[in-house]
Amino acid sequence: METVIKSEVSLPADRKRKIYKVTWKKVLQTGVITWISLLLIWTIAARFSDPQFLPSPLATLQGAIELSKDGSLFIFMAYSFTRVLAGWIAGNLIAIPLGLLIGNNQTIRSLIEPLINFVRFIPPLAFITLFMLWFGIGEQSKIFLIIYATLFVVTINTLTGVLSISEDKIRSAKSMGASKFQVLLHVVIPASLPHIFTGARLAMGSSFMAIVGAEMVAANEGIGFMIWNARLYFQTDWIFVGLVVLGLMGFLADRLLAWSGKKFLRRYGVVS
Amino acid sequence: MTVANSIKPSISIKGLSKTFSEDIEAPTYVLENVDLTINQGEFYILLGPSGCGKSTLLNILARFIDKTNGKLEFYGTSYEQDVSQGFIFQSADSALFPWLTVEENVEFGLKLKKVATLERKSQVAYYIKLAGLSGHERKFPSEISGGMKQRVQLARVLANNPDIILMDEPFGALDAMTRRTMQKELIRIWQETNKTVIFVTHDLHEAIQLGQHIGIMSIGPSSKIISDYKIDLPYPRELTSIAFNEYYEKIQSHFD
Repeated sequence: METVIKSEVSLPADRKRKIYKVTWKKVLQTGVITWISLLLIWTIAARFSDPQFLPSPLATLQGAIELSKDGSLFIFMAYSFTRVLAGWIAGNLIAIPLGLLIGNNQTIRSLIEPLINFVRFIPPLAFITLFMLWFGIGEQSKIFLIIYATLFVVTINTLTGVLSISEDKIRSAKSMGASKFQVLLHVVIPASLPHIFTGARLAMGSSFMAIVGAEMVAANEGIGFMIWNARLYFQTDWIFVGLVVLGLMGFLADRLLAWSGKKFLRRYGVVS
Repeated sequence: MTVANSIKPSISIKGLSKTFSEDIEAPTYVLENVDLTINQGEFYILLGPSGCGKSTLLNILARFIDKTNGKLEFYGTSYEQDVSQGFIFQSADSALFPWLTVEENVEFGLKLKKVATLERKSQVAYYIKLAGLSGHERKFPSEISGGMKQRVQLARVLANNPDIILMDEPFGALDAMTRRTMQKELIRIWQETNKTVIFVTHDLHEAIQLGQHIGIMSIGPSSKIISDYKIDLPYPRELTSIAFNEYYEKIQSHFD
């Protein structure tokens, strides 16, 4: 009898705790707490420092407003983003067929794989000078750099995708009368899409890394240029604006990519 | 005419050998001197322990791999050119296309052959119904059970109207109850379609349950078919009947 009463009394408290737990989990998942904490720590740290050494979030915001008054911030963003997008798309257009080709042909694989495994360890930034020499200081050299940054990640991921297809799938398509080309189109490509997609997402990250370096060395516009240029005026807040903007652009591009993958490629096993 | 057709040997294998070794002087054979004749419309079982090369033989019949020596004929002509075969894999998960729905999987071969839409749809509907998949057309393979997946494989293969159906331990991964159901279903479908079936298994119960003929393969290497039993029991077969047990005892003695 006593235990029954006890459990009746403790039930609402239990439920309250449960609701509290669930809400806490939801809040935690939004990431709001992380961002508020970061801003808080940043503000406090900036208090103890010089604005030219570590500008506060507020000073950074003011810098951003200052930079957007004449529209230069948005123009720089557009420049950097367009370069990344153009190079990334071109890189994917080369890398995906290349990966499929290498994956499907043993001879080509033996020929090209050693080369890929050598060249992929040379970071894109190391090529900036060479690309400037070859393609000039205009847009071309930057887009080639992004293509380079995209190429290996996507090729290797595509190759992995092709090689991980179960033999049974290819055999079953063949036994249903599929030609080599039909196997490629209807089995190999759809089956390796999750790998290709992961490669493209990773390449987006390395493209952002490459573009900033290129813009620092050889550009008169773009976020990289903006960050590099800020040193001339001791505008440390502009550097922070650049960093935040880069993070945001990358984050949004990745979210957009992930969302469209989930939306349009779900049946191929692209889940995030 | 139909009577004449039904007793005509559709597949004839003579002195077939297979080796994977690259040692030309003294290769070790997986299969050596396999002789086998299978009639049109027959349900033929290849029975043997693991590693005896029965799957290798099936893969040769499917043309997934090449034979090393011997003769392979289909109605007396070139097997390689004239026969069309359907293959049911042991693992439906690795054989089905997970990005296609049940319906689209069944449709796959017909689409490749560019069969007109109307004709295609009616074929697909027919085989989906035949395989007992009605109501699951729009589901993806990941959303259906293991037994259902094997039905999809069966429907997908049948939709291509192959001359022979090769099955590689298709029910090996199913639970005992589902396996029983699938065995009965397979017999029903086979009787309705009158296809030649070559079915590989190491399960003696399954072999007697399903086969009209059982070819016993010797333990490898250098396996061959050492004897051929004709199972003279009507379908559906009673697992517990005396006749069934007599066959069981007789065939089991090969492996004791």
